[in-house]
Amino acid sequence: MTAPATNPPKTTAPVVASVRDLRVHFKSKGGIVHAVDGVDFDVRDGETLGLVGETGCGKSVTARSFLRLVPMPPGIPVSGSIIFRPRQRCSSCDGAGCPTCAGTGRVVSPCPVCAGSGCDTCEQSGAETIDLLTIPERELRSIRGNRIAMIFQDPGKALNPALSIRKQVAEVFYAHRSDELLVSAGIDPGSGSMPTTLLRRRATQQSRTLESVLLSLPPLRSGRTAISEAADDRVATALAETQIPNPRAVMDRYPHELSGGMKQRVMIAMALACDPDLLIADEPTTALDVTVQARIIELIKELQQRHKTAVVYISHDLSLVRKVADRTAVMYAGRIVEVGDSEQIFHEPEHPYTRGLIDAIPGAHHERGRLAAIEGTVPELIDPEPSCRFAGRCDYAASVCWTHDPTLGPVRDREVACFIHHPPEHGEAPSFDRTVR
Amino acid sequence: MTATTDQRTVLAVRDLKKHFPIKDGALQRVVGQVRAVDGVSFDLQRGETLGLVGESGCGKTTLGRVLAGLEKPTSGGVYFDLSESQRVELDRALRAGQGEDLARLEASHRVDRLDGTNWRRFRRNTQMVFQDSFSSLNPRHLVSDIVGRPLRVYKEASGSALTERVVGLLEQVGLGRQHLYRYPHQFSGGQRQRISIARALALDPELVILDEPTSALDVSVQAQILNLLHELQQSRGFTFLFITHDLSVVRHMADRIAVMYLGRIAESGETTELFNEPIHPYTEALLRANPDLTADDEGFRGLEGTVPDPARPPQGCRFHTRCEYATPDCGWEIDDVVLQLEDTPALFDKLAGVERRSPFDADLEFSDSDAAAGLATALQSEDVPASMRAAIEHVSVGAQKVSIKFREVNEVLLTPRGNDRLAACVLDALPKRY
Repeated sequence: MTAPATNPPKTTAPVVASVRDLRVHFKSKGGIVHAVDGVDFDVRDGETLGLVGETGCGKSVTARSFLRLVPMPPGIPVSGSIIFRPRQRCSSCDGAGCPTCAGTGRVVSPCPVCAGSGCDTCEQSGAETIDLLTIPERELRSIRGNRIAMIFQDPGKALNPALSIRKQVAEVFYAHRSDELLVSAGIDPGSGSMPTTLLRRRATQQSRTLESVLLSLPPLRSGRTAISEAADDRVATALAETQIPNPRAVMDRYPHELSGGMKQRVMIAMALACDPDLLIADEPTTALDVTVQARIIELIKELQQRHKTAVVYISHDLSLVRKVADRTAVMYAGRIVEVGDSEQIFHEPEHPYTRGLIDAIPGAHHERGRLAAIEGTVPELIDPEPSCRFAGRCDYAASVCWTHDPTLGPVRDREVACFIHHPPEHGEAPSFDRTVR
Repeated sequence: MTATTDQRTVLAVRDLKKHFPIKDGALQRVVGQVRAVDGVSFDLQRGETLGLVGESGCGKTTLGRVLAGLEKPTSGGVYFDLSESQRVELDRALRAGQGEDLARLEASHRVDRLDGTNWRRFRRNTQMVFQDSFSSLNPRHLVSDIVGRPLRVYKEASGSALTERVVGLLEQVGLGRQHLYRYPHQFSGGQRQRISIARALALDPELVILDEPTSALDVSVQAQILNLLHELQQSRGFTFLFITHDLSVVRHMADRIAVMYLGRIAESGETTELFNEPIHPYTEALLRANPDLTADDEGFRGLEGTVPDPARPPQGCRFHTRCEYATPDCGWEIDDVVLQLEDTPALFDKLAGVERRSPFDADLEFSDSDAAAGLATALQSEDVPASMRAAIEHVSVGAQKVSIKFREVNEVLLTPRGNDRLAACVLDALPKRY
């Protein structure tokens, strides 16, 4: 991928996660649905990658694959890898930003096998590489919500209605920062003594009924309280960071007592609590009003700049993605059809589908009744033949589009999967000059 | 849209209110009213498209339901199908109060007082398309039943003639004969919305109320539906009331727009004028929050705060609690002080009670005198908006009590702003910002 002139620092930044040939299929009565069928893209450190497409094009399945949240079965993991390269706080500046870490405050965490010198495990890069699709569930649990966090579409459904905000946000800290909680509470996490063990189990939410009784008795009660207070402090800080007014009062509320925008802020606070390397936002503002949506977008952008987190922003709303994303990947029917710098994609779309999508948005320049609708609907993805998935709705489709799979290839500053830009070796190539209809 | 002498007003809405009671306690006594629609007036001319926009909870859907006759208004009236002279007569009669003229007009035109024949005429001429086509199409009925039902109810057709009429309707909305004997779940979202539209058009109505018809659809399908609606309007001369929260869609579809906030119209006017030069700060805030493909990033901004409780709408201008241009005349009141207090737990926890003499004048009692003094200082400080400080006429601190009196302000009403525009704002024009 060549670097566009507008945003050189972000596109040359190291890759945090790279998705290669991801295929996730689903079993259904009619056959195998190819929901995600060969998706490749990279997410670079500190950038926002927008993932856009219509309903059912596989954007959510792609996003959920990062954390293995796709239910299997009915899902079938066919092939592919998602390589994640976690980062750690830069030791020479302690996160403040220095020349060593190129001002980001983070460095690549070294490969545990070769300690950064380069070996076969890390493909000679020296960086710790984790394939999120193959690592054991136990290890994945330590990454979920810690190194990779996710914001879901409907905050009303994603929050647990039976837990107060305090309890659900604190879970993140109990799960991933229990040692820090113990240290804040004045307990040495390394000590193997009986009280410490009990308190450590408390800080990781593993206490059994009998242990809870012991912990409520005077000798241990102070330690237990200290741990809760340490967690409360962190919860309050996390909530305050998302500009929730009066976080200490909000902590004791339940999700139904909060407005939609407030709930989404709580979700964002939970997601960013552990300062993740990668944040996956799956339509975070679709359930919100425009005015609130704009506030949430501002918030995500601001927090991203502060935390230097890479964000994968999924949305069906192109105008929104243009506001948010540095780079955009357009998905159609389980594949990426165009990926590149946002501003350029929206300014000069190259793939016929991207063109169609952009023209379909009603704007000031459209005459009423003359919106360029894309005729037809997304095809059913049950056992598809090799062909361009968009051929059935494309104004320019030629015979080759029905028989061959187009692949992503470079066009100027981006990558496009279309025979118009990459004429096939045999057969007639389609062209923007020749419409079918 | 200029009114000519033969121009018919499909709907004339006059000071319409719809309140829902809040019931509480074992006896379910009414303890308050949610003022979903609270004094809305406008005219809808034949053949035009009026866009109704606003955030969720501003009452736009309730208004649509009242206009369609699905809910009875609490007060005020909806008048159906008036000629220009009748409309002028109606306004005169309403100004004069109860009288013979008004009674006569109401008997034949006021929607909630229509007799059998007129009621049937109104119902068949007012159809609705709902947002969620999953819940507005009966999953147990075939498409032929769904689209044919209005024709059967009004005894327009039966037997094979009915089937042919249904096929004709389906073809108009881009479906066909092959779809007659299918169930709603066998269709995609866009197709289901087409079925809803076909059902609404079956009786060739005068007015179609479209309540967020494309909110659940993808852009490419949305474009298909918007084109379809426009074509149908062109060929059959429907009047549309287009309810939506999507400003890009409403700009594309509507001739005139009414912006609603908390049960009232904040601003109305011709579409391009309203978009190019908003007068009400709320309209401007909505426009700025709308992500637009062509606009630059400069103006993109959200709106602080939440919509106030419609059971206790703010005094003066209802938007003053969130308005960045608020002046001392916008209706600052005791409730705003209480809201400010809620964000300062140290003081709020000590608040013992509020004794109101009017919405603008009250005593706030605290459990200790420090808190009372704290509030008095806070009210003079930068913590409260400057316009709110300027609106305070009088503050006095007693032992554990603060008396506050704000400038009394009347409700901010819609005033004409030239060329068919109305806005409810104390300012004459917004400062040029973007």
